[in-house]
Amino acid sequence: MAKRIVIVEDDPDQRSNYVDAITKKGYEVTAYSNRQEALSGFERELPDLAILDIILGDEVDAGFEICRDLLSRSASLPVIFLTERIDEIDKISGLRLGAWDYLPKPISLDYLAERISSLLRIHEARGQSHQGSSTAKMVGDMSIDQEALLVSWKNQPINLSGTEFRMLAKLVRVPGHAVSYDTLMNATMQSLVTNNTINTHMRNIRKKFENIDPQFNCIKSEYGFGYRWSAK
Amino acid sequence: MTMTVFRGPRLATKLFFLMSLALVVIPWFSYLYLKEMEGFLVDGQANAQLLTAEGISTLLNGRPDLFYELPLSPEGYEQLYAHPLTTPIRIDGKNNDWEEVLDYNVSFGSQEPDETSTTGPNQFYLVLGEHNDQVYALIQVKDDKLVFRDRNILRLDLSDHIRITFTGQNGEIRNLVITMTEPGVTTAYNVDNDWRYAIQGIAENRVQGFMTETVDGYAVEFRIPLALLGSTKHFGLAVVDVDSTETRAIQSITGTLPSAGREAFGLVLLKSPEVLRIIEGLGYSGANIQVIDAQRRVRAEVGSYGAQPTQESKPTSSTWYLKISAAMRRIPDALYRLIDVGLRDESDTAEDSVIRESLAGRPSFQRHYTQAEGETIIAAYPIIAQDKTIGTVVLKQNTDRILELRRDGLGRIVNFSVISLFIFAALILAFSVRLTRRIRKLGAEATGTIDKYGRLKTNQLRSETSAGDEIGDLARGISSMLARLHQHNQFLENMPRTLRHEINNPLNTLSTSLQNLESETTESGKQKYLESAKRGVHRIGMIVQNLADAASLEDALATEEFEVIDVHQLVESYLGNCRTSHQNRIFEYRGTQREVLSEVSDYRIEQLLDKLIDNAIDFSAVDSTITVGMTTDATTLTLFVTNHGPLVPTNMLDNIFDSMVSARGSNSDNRLHFGIGLYVVRIIAEHHGGTVNAANLLNGDGVTIQVNLPLYKRAIAADASL
Repeated sequence: MAKRIVIVEDDPDQRSNYVDAITKKGYEVTAYSNRQEALSGFERELPDLAILDIILGDEVDAGFEICRDLLSRSASLPVIFLTERIDEIDKISGLRLGAWDYLPKPISLDYLAERISSLLRIHEARGQSHQGSSTAKMVGDMSIDQEALLVSWKNQPINLSGTEFRMLAKLVRVPGHAVSYDTLMNATMQSLVTNNTINTHMRNIRKKFENIDPQFNCIKSEYGFGYRWSAK
Repeated sequence: MTMTVFRGPRLATKLFFLMSLALVVIPWFSYLYLKEMEGFLVDGQANAQLLTAEGISTLLNGRPDLFYELPLSPEGYEQLYAHPLTTPIRIDGKNNDWEEVLDYNVSFGSQEPDETSTTGPNQFYLVLGEHNDQVYALIQVKDDKLVFRDRNILRLDLSDHIRITFTGQNGEIRNLVITMTEPGVTTAYNVDNDWRYAIQGIAENRVQGFMTETVDGYAVEFRIPLALLGSTKHFGLAVVDVDSTETRAIQSITGTLPSAGREAFGLVLLKSPEVLRIIEGLGYSGANIQVIDAQRRVRAEVGSYGAQPTQESKPTSSTWYLKISAAMRRIPDALYRLIDVGLRDESDTAEDSVIRESLAGRPSFQRHYTQAEGETIIAAYPIIAQDKTIGTVVLKQNTDRILELRRDGLGRIVNFSVISLFIFAALILAFSVRLTRRIRKLGAEATGTIDKYGRLKTNQLRSETSAGDEIGDLARGISSMLARLHQHNQFLENMPRTLRHEINNPLNTLSTSLQNLESETTESGKQKYLESAKRGVHRIGMIVQNLADAASLEDALATEEFEVIDVHQLVESYLGNCRTSHQNRIFEYRGTQREVLSEVSDYRIEQLLDKLIDNAIDFSAVDSTITVGMTTDATTLTLFVTNHGPLVPTNMLDNIFDSMVSARGSNSDNRLHFGIGLYVVRIIAEHHGGTVNAANLLNGDGVTIQVNLPLYKRAIAADASL
C-alpha cells in the first residue's frame, strides 16, 4: 500500500513540482494551499508524513500551527518543515515542536524524496524498537541509534531533528577526531550551507544536551576548521 | 497630517523669569541684612549713649550740693530761666545779639483787656540771659502811648517804668525801678515799698539799661550783676504802664507773676553754673546732654542734636545723570518710608517715660521719632546721692548717621540691583536669543537631512558640531547618528544594484543553458546544459545566502551568547587550521603567549578571523607571509592581521569597513565580492564593544588591520590585585 503524503505549500509552481516529483517515487500525494484546507483535510484522514511550508499566504506562522494540530492528533507523525531562512531553524527549536526535520529552500527534489523515504523507514524502525530489538551504539555516556534516529545522554532521550542527528552521527563516528565544516555540510544534505548554518545547528545540539546535563561539554570548536567530539 | 504641539513658554522667557526672581531675592536679603545691621548700630548707639549718661552721672553722683543753689520747691511761681549766653550782650535796646536765646522768650499779660484785673492789656515779652556773672534781660513791651518821666517830679511811679524785686545780699527784700526820661540810657533807683520815691538820691548805676521805641511800644535792655542778687539769685519783674501825661495815673501793672497779692513778682531761676561747667566739657557734636533734678527741672544743658542740613548734591554737567540719581535716591527713600513707618512711635511721652524711669532709679533708653527732629535715641541715667536719686542725666542723639548709612546702603543695593538687572536681562536676552537661534538652526538642519520621502540627503550636520556645550554634543550625536543611518541606508540602497550585478551573470548562464536545452535533441548535449544551469542556480543561491547573512548579521548577533574564553588559544588553534586549509600562504603568529581572557562569542570571533584571513589572502601574493598578532594593554586586546600586497588608497582607509565598499580593482578570480567581509569584521567587533582600523604599512608593501576588543573585566581586576 502506497504511503500517503501531504504537502502544504502556497506557491502553485513549487507545489506542483513537489507533487510531480514525489508521485513519481510511488507515493500517494495530497496538496493543500492554505491552513484551512489542510486542517479540514486532516479531519477526514491523517497522512503518514507531512511536508509543511511555514509561511502560507499572509499567515506567517501557519506551518507551525498545522504542525501543532497534526501532532495533537498523532504525536509520532513525521513532519518536515520547508524553511527560507536559517533563523527559522532556531524558531522551530524554540517552539519545541516535534518536527522531524527541516529543509532550507532552495531544496533538491532528489534529496526531498530520499528524506521522505528515510523518515518513513525511521518511523517504522521506531515502532519496532519499542518491541525490543535495538541497534543502538554507545559513545561514552551517549547512546545513538542510527536506524531509529534516537539519541540519549546518560539514559535520557534527546529529541534531535534529522539534520542535527546526521551531524552528530558524523561528529561521533571517530570520537576525538576533528570534523571539518565541509564534512558537516555534507551531513546536512542540503545544497547551500555556510559555516554559519553549521554553527547554528551545533549550538542547537549543544543546547539540547545542556538542557539535560548542564555540565555537558563534549562538543568542542576547532576554530577555522570545524568541530570535535571530546569524551573528556 | 497636522500635529498639534503644546507650545509652552519659550526658553528665553523661562530663563528671564528665573533670573529676575534671583535678582529680586538678592536685594531683599541685602535689605534684611542692612536692617539687622541698623538694629545693631542703633542698639550700639543707645548703649553708648547710656554709658555716656552713666559716665556723666558718675561725675555728679554724691553731689547733692550742686542742686542746692535753688529753692527746692518753687511751686506757684513762674519759673524764669536765665539762659547761658556765649557772648556778652551790648546794652543798646536792640534784640540782634539775643538770637541764640530769643526763642525762649516768655510772654506775659493777656491779649484781651481784663476789667477786674490790675494787669491790663500791657503785654510784654521777656528774655533772660546770663553771661560772666551778669544777668541780662530784654523786655519788649506793647504800649500804645509812651509816657516818659518828668525830671521835675520826684515820684518815680508817674511814668512808664519797670519794677524789679529781689532778695539782696543780706536777705532783705529790695525794690528797684528802671525809668527813662527819653529813649536811650535808663536810670535805676532803689525805691521804698510803695514804689514811689527813691531811697537814696543817687541812681543805682550797677543796673545799666537802654530803651528804644518800637512800632507798637518800646524795648528795654538791661543787666544786673549777679552779685547784687544775693545767694538766692532770683527776682521778680513787672512792667508798669502810664498812659496820660495829664493825670499820670498807673494804667496797669503787668508782672511776671499774675497774682497781684504777692510781694515777689516771680522768680528767675538761674541754671546751675557748676553743673553746667562739669558737663560743658563732655558735650559732643550731635548730642544733647541735660541734667535734670528730681523736680524734673533742667539744671544744665549742652549741645544740640538737631538734624544737620543734608549736603547738597554736587552739581554735575549732565542733567540726565542728576535726574537718574535723584530718581535712584527716591527709590530707597520710598522703600524706607514704606517699610519703616510701622516702627515709628510719634508720641511725645517717650522722653517723659524715659525720665520717669530714670528718676525712679532705673537707667533706660528709647527710640523716639518726631517729624521735625527725625529719629532720636533718648538715654537717661540716674544721679545717685546718699542712696537717693537726686536727678538724671539725659542724653539725646539722633540716629542721622545710622539712617544716612542705611539710606546709602539701601541706595547702593537698589542701584546695584537695578543696574545688574538691566545688565543681566540684556545678557540673558542675548544668551537666550543666541541659544534659541542655535537650537532652531540645528533643528532646521536636522529636519532638512531627510526629505519628505524619508530619504537621507546627507550623512552629517555642519552647524554646531564644533561647539563645546550640550548643543554641540547634540549636534555631534545627531551627526554620528546620521552617519550610521547613512551607512546602513547605503548598504540597503546598494544591495539591489550589487545583486543585479552579481546575479545577472549566473542568471545569464541559467537562461542561455535553458534556451540551449530547448533546442538540444541529443541526450549528452542536454546533460551538458543541465549541468551549467545547475551551476548557475547554485551560484545565485550562494549570493542570496551571503547577502542574507550580512543583512541579518546585527539581528543574529543580538541573540548571541557571550562566554569568557582564551582568545589567544582560539587564535593559535585557528591559525593551526589555516596552515592546513590554505597551503599557499605562510601564517605567522607574533605577540603574547599568555592567556588572554575576553567575554566573546567564539563563533563570531571565528567568523571575524575568517573574514580577516580571507581579506589578507585576497590581497597577497601566493606563498607570501600573513602575520597574525595579538597584544594586550590594561583594558583591551589588539588583534592584527598584516599581509604584504597592494596598499589601500588613503582616502578609503576610513570607509573600508563600510558595507559594499571594496578596494578591489577587478573581479578577476570570479569569486564573490560584495565588500561585506570587513563590514562583518566591524559589526562583530563593535558588537563586542571593540573598534577596528586599517593602516598601510610604513614601508609601503602591505596593509595591517587591527581589531581592538575589551578584555574580560574580572581578569583585569584580578591582575590589578596581584
